[in-house]
Amino acid sequence: MRLSARLGLGLASVLLCAAIVGGWHLATRFGLVSRAFLPSPERTWLALWRGLTEGDLRRQVLATVERMLLGWVLASLVGIVLGSLIGSSRRARAWIGPSLEFLRPLPASALIPIGIAFFGLSQSMVLAVICFGTLWPMLLATIQGFAALDPQLRDVGRMLGFGRLDTVWKFALPNALPDILAGMRLGLTVALILSVVGEMLAGQQGLGLSILLAARAFRSPDLFAGVILLGAIGYATNLVLAQVELRVLRWRS
Amino acid sequence: MSAAVIPLQKAGGKPEPLIAFRRVDLDLGGRPILRGIDLEIARGEFVCVVGPSGCGKTTLLRLLGGLLAPTGGEVSYAGGPVAGPSANVAIVFQDYGKALLPWRNVAGNVSLALEAAGVPRGEREARIAPLLRKVGLDAHAERFPGQLSGGMQQRVQIARCLAQEPTLLLMDEPFGALDAMTRQALQDEVLRIVQASRMTVLFVTHDLEEAIYLGDRVIALRPHPGRVAATFEVDLARPREQLATREAPQFLRLRRALYDFIESAER
Repeated sequence: MRLSARLGLGLASVLLCAAIVGGWHLATRFGLVSRAFLPSPERTWLALWRGLTEGDLRRQVLATVERMLLGWVLASLVGIVLGSLIGSSRRARAWIGPSLEFLRPLPASALIPIGIAFFGLSQSMVLAVICFGTLWPMLLATIQGFAALDPQLRDVGRMLGFGRLDTVWKFALPNALPDILAGMRLGLTVALILSVVGEMLAGQQGLGLSILLAARAFRSPDLFAGVILLGAIGYATNLVLAQVELRVLRWRS
Repeated sequence: MSAAVIPLQKAGGKPEPLIAFRRVDLDLGGRPILRGIDLEIARGEFVCVVGPSGCGKTTLLRLLGGLLAPTGGEVSYAGGPVAGPSANVAIVFQDYGKALLPWRNVAGNVSLALEAAGVPRGEREARIAPLLRKVGLDAHAERFPGQLSGGMQQRVQIARCLAQEPTLLLMDEPFGALDAMTRQALQDEVLRIVQASRMTVLFVTHDLEEAIYLGDRVIALRPHPGRVAATFEVDLARPREQLATREAPQFLRLRRALYDFIESAER
């Protein structure tokens, strides 16, 4: 894209953002929606600022981000290792594939009651649910990436006399990397969603709980401040991952 | 590169062939692909294999590479049966786009063969540089395959095969997808490199003129199932030269004979 076109689009994005906030402002200003449900942008901003500087909003953000990242990293490790094992064997794929296809579409939130039965309303329950729900994009992407290794590249590896481990490390894993990274990006979003849901259901410290409590107490500015922070977390983490992807996959440009 | 290899003399006086196919049959999925292949290739020989599509040219090469095992008969290399891929045998695949690792740059792709041979990390760079110079890619070591032309990608593959320091180089229609100018340049490069290293080469092609230009001998296969139909000795002087060689009367005579033969085989 030309520079002028990029600048123009960037400006348009900012304008769209401003228009949304402006509309929001007008809606509250003229009382189109009750203030008990929709606070003005100014009050939301104030709540956000106070919560971050004086209140415990920062701690809540950290708790949620930590939970999300921990669950995501664990799920990534399990997904990639398990996916490599399943993906590098056609027999394993045929054997395990159908079970995976049954488990995959299960909504992770539906498993929360099962998690509660096993772990109680605890940190570990929330973490287990995040892990389970986040695992799928990574696992399936790794299996797909391994299975899609070109037969000709396999022949190159065979002619050079590489063993199984070297073939995985030098051929299959880098070949699967674009799929894995895409899966990890998807997984991070899932991890954020499940962190929030898990906190709400299990009463664990974090943004999810603080949003729920704010809603119950009709503290709508706090509620909106929390929602905005969640959006910001999602946006920032995705941006970081996109940059990582760009660097790691620079051979594709 | 390996030192000059002196052909082993048998008691009878005839040099022992590096490669021998003895009554080789091959079936794939119950279909006969090759039948009764008898073939010998001496050390240092440059042998081209031609034939219409479906005649099993590539299969012949894969048997030699140890990627396939014969259904009947025996393929032997240096006196012993081919049991699987060997570090002494390298294959330049036809589809260079799928034979290179797209996530590794040129130097990294050549390095792959050194890693396979267990060359320590510190020594690899010093081995890669002269190989890239040999194929004219020294200025492009840092580029990725996706940023190279087809001819350059095929050069990377050749450099990677040379890094293996093979005794036998198998080439599977390596220049089939390249434009005419690039193809001729690469033909001469391969001849020069092979001459200097004394490698034995089996070169599969569907281009009859290419086969005559490169080979000491051209083997023509007949399809359904694939079998050796005729062998043409190429008595053209080396080094060969794109214009002079292709205008030589022997060249034209061989070309005529091969065309006539292929036409009759396809009928």
